[in-house]
Amino acid sequence: MTNVMKDYFLDLDDAAKDPARKVAWCTSVGPAEILRAMGFDVFFPENHGAMLGATRVCMDTIPVANANGYSPEICSYLTSDVGAYMKGITPLTKAFGIEQVPRPDVLVYNTNQCKDVMHWFEYYATEFDCPIFGIHPPTNVPGIRQEYIDDVARQFEELIAFLEPIIGAPMDPVKLKETVGRSLKATNLWSDVLNMAQATPSPMTFFDATIYMGPIVVLRGTQIAVDYYQDLLTELKQKVGDKHAAVKQEGKRIYWDGMPVWGRLRALSNTFDENNACVVASTYCNSWIFADFDPSDPLPSMAKAYIKIFINRNDQYKEDYIETMVRDFNVDGVVFLAARTCPNNSNAYYNLPKKLRDKGIPTIIIDGDLCDLRCYSDEQATTLIEAFLETI
Amino acid sequence: MPETDDEIYWGVDCGSSEIKVVALDMQGNILLKRKQKTLFPLQDHVRHALSGDAGELTPFVDTDSNTIRPGHKIIATGYGRKYISFAHDALTEIKAHFIGVESQLELAQAYSIIDIGGQDSKIIAIDHEKVDQFIINRKCAAGTGAYIEELGHRLEVPLAHMTALASGNDKELSLNSYCTVFSGQEVIKVLMNGERVENIIYALYSSVVKRVMEMTTITTDNVIFSGGVLRFHPKLVDMFTEKLTEANPAMKTMLSPNAQYCGAIGAALHGQNT
Repeated sequence: MTNVMKDYFLDLDDAAKDPARKVAWCTSVGPAEILRAMGFDVFFPENHGAMLGATRVCMDTIPVANANGYSPEICSYLTSDVGAYMKGITPLTKAFGIEQVPRPDVLVYNTNQCKDVMHWFEYYATEFDCPIFGIHPPTNVPGIRQEYIDDVARQFEELIAFLEPIIGAPMDPVKLKETVGRSLKATNLWSDVLNMAQATPSPMTFFDATIYMGPIVVLRGTQIAVDYYQDLLTELKQKVGDKHAAVKQEGKRIYWDGMPVWGRLRALSNTFDENNACVVASTYCNSWIFADFDPSDPLPSMAKAYIKIFINRNDQYKEDYIETMVRDFNVDGVVFLAARTCPNNSNAYYNLPKKLRDKGIPTIIIDGDLCDLRCYSDEQATTLIEAFLETI
Repeated sequence: MPETDDEIYWGVDCGSSEIKVVALDMQGNILLKRKQKTLFPLQDHVRHALSGDAGELTPFVDTDSNTIRPGHKIIATGYGRKYISFAHDALTEIKAHFIGVESQLELAQAYSIIDIGGQDSKIIAIDHEKVDQFIINRKCAAGTGAYIEELGHRLEVPLAHMTALASGNDKELSLNSYCTVFSGQEVIKVLMNGERVENIIYALYSSVVKRVMEMTTITTDNVIFSGGVLRFHPKLVDMFTEKLTEANPAMKTMLSPNAQYCGAIGAALHGQNT
């Protein structure tokens, strides 16, 4: 895993230094397949935000963004990343010896996840005097209507027309089909990997999955991602066969909704482990399953897949989805992370936990954040989780 | 020191304000209760609270080591529960308060506990001798002992005088802010306007009741109060009762016996049963 991510970042660093190569920045559930098929090297600022969170470097960078006009109340991926840029630092230096994030030749975002990504990318568009393109799909949809697909597919076509002069070549339809095909393979394998946790005992935890998910975020559309998940699936099948338990005394099985608390992955993993509970599934990791990709119909199928993501759906869909996950993974209770700076990916605010409780599914809400540890109390979270596990 | 070969169960509730200790015999009788201010290093002060004064019952073999006497068992609860290396086990204060309350009272099948501690407030719903649901205040001091202490400090009113002062109110003033600091600013503003301190203390209590009651809807007809804050602020208990009865005329409330020690009692009983 370390090598896959290291090679990805070193190659990006090379791309940024090579005038013949073009770097695109893309949101994590943006149209990476289009960019890859056209020959762009793709960097994902949200992945950088997660690295800033996991290394806790963000606690030095968020305040810099705050002091420069970006509120502590907005996306802490944004403030972590923009603050790091303002401060001139990146965790890539310590991890891989890379001096700075690759400078973009174009910025492409998709507001299917939130509108903060638009503000985030617009900052860099100004900063780097760089072309920017936004995909604006219908949001919070109950179902997927044909006109939504047509709308987004049309926006993808406009994006391609926008990108062609930047990369200096037209889109090759064969390459697009191949790229979408590889994305489909990778995403199906990722789904199979996550479903290995349906086994009892589970061979993996949500905390493991937040590490395993790197390639499905940053290497969609490449053979590297396909190969990585094929190998991982083989390894996990072996573990299931061997009854290998990620949590040695797996007593309770938990579902995690919302963002990870990147700076507390280990501590939270230990808390569940010490209490013989395994977090077997999550909304977050499953958000990179795009089963609707279809190489024979690339743009409409991409449109459908990227509109359809959990975060972009209405409350009833979310309730039904979590209920299904609880049943499929034999879950005893659901932990909701109410992330202070990410209301879009926090599902505890509109009565969903209570609705599930009324259906007999125990739930608990933990206050915290994806990156900003000023919004997180270790003691309170531990007490809530332990008390929850005592009671279910 | 009483010499005994019987088993003794010690419960230690390491709260943010005070360390509470109880010792129970095999029949669950309370042999002693002790408390002291929470100071640091925590473990040294927990040890001191457990040891008592010279000649008193202690779980330790001698004064120099943390070796526990045979037959003695120590169970920790509260926010400091994980920092007591000589404790045999630990449980959360949710479960500890439930066990502590349940053990001391003949209770209805379904009831709720309102516990207000130094740094948190909890509502625990019990059904069929089991914790059905619980909720703890979010990351904010409002509705906790720390909130009362901070504003008492600003007003220069000793905590022990608050109940009497609040009972002398002639106006139902309210404080609007969630935030302790902002509430402090509101208090200063009303003081500058010449408001009586009795009305301000009443408003402070009223704010605590509001903050706690908005955490969840209490659906049981019985509520038991526990925790040191409610033990030492009887007016607050009255105001909670008034509000609860307003919402549900069938409501019955009471302050738990040994309200400040419910967590420690629950911890000790947990030790007896595991």
